[in-house]
Amino acid sequence: MLLRAGALLALGGAAVPLTGCDLFDRDDESRPPDPLEPLAAEATALEARHRAAATAVPALAERLTAIADAHRAHAEELRKAIGRPAPSGTPAAVPSVAPADPDTVRTELRQAEQEGRDNAAKACAAAPAERAALLGSIAAARATHMEALK
Amino acid sequence: MSPTSGPAQALGDALAAEYAAIWAYGVIGVHLTEAARSAARAAEAAHRSRRDALILQLSSGGGQVPADRAGYALPYPVTDRASALKLAVEIEERTAGHWRAALPHTTGADRNKALAALTDCALRATRWRRTAGVTPITVPFPGRQT
Repeated sequence: MLLRAGALLALGGAAVPLTGCDLFDRDDESRPPDPLEPLAAEATALEARHRAAATAVPALAERLTAIADAHRAHAEELRKAIGRPAPSGTPAAVPSVAPADPDTVRTELRQAEQEGRDNAAKACAAAPAERAALLGSIAAARATHMEALK
Repeated sequence: MSPTSGPAQALGDALAAEYAAIWAYGVIGVHLTEAARSAARAAEAAHRSRRDALILQLSSGGGQVPADRAGYALPYPVTDRASALKLAVEIEERTAGHWRAALPHTTGADRNKALAALTDCALRATRWRRTAGVTPITVPFPGRQT
């Protein structure tokens, strides 16, 4: 169970773009990547997705902006727990902002939140005690986002 | 709320919160109608099953199982739909807080159970905010004292 969660997190880490990493940065060399890195990157990516969607579907803007703000707050808390700033030069890819069908947008975002909830729940299960409460709140928040996107 | 010193204490606190939630829904339900009343009944049933699971878990661990209280003081008068919905949101956030507090004191299956309970409370709080017309209907860190 724990091993499985660890393997999944490692896979998530591999998906984070490596551009901008300084190959000769001593600090990076001496410290292995924190297991929370993929989750922090995911929070930043989810924030970007919701902000883009808020622009594409003005009718949903208020709801989506509140969710985007929550993802930003999650990313900030995760960065604090990691104790290092985000890897530089890797801004989250901003998805297209073409006007879109609200139902499609909500369905896609719900799916993204579901994946995010599952990732946060796995991280919570595998985390040391001092990180469990933060990760639990993030998993629960992502579940409430799915509800808010209904 | 109270500082916890171990798994039994943390789960005992969660049990106390579940007792209080069950009691509160008795007050809440009578001020609601139709779909909201059904939702209150379902919420109460969910808290009862968490309570029962906790009692089983704590007693099989050989520890002390805190007893329910005879009654509780309401934080404000609950006299109509609006105050009932306000209490429903607060009781879910409060219970979420106790389950959140249990996370650092648990591991494995017990932690997953605590997370499932925290998530359920957060979801119900969100639905109650929607019913009450409160925005935003979500909070960034469910269960965290603000």
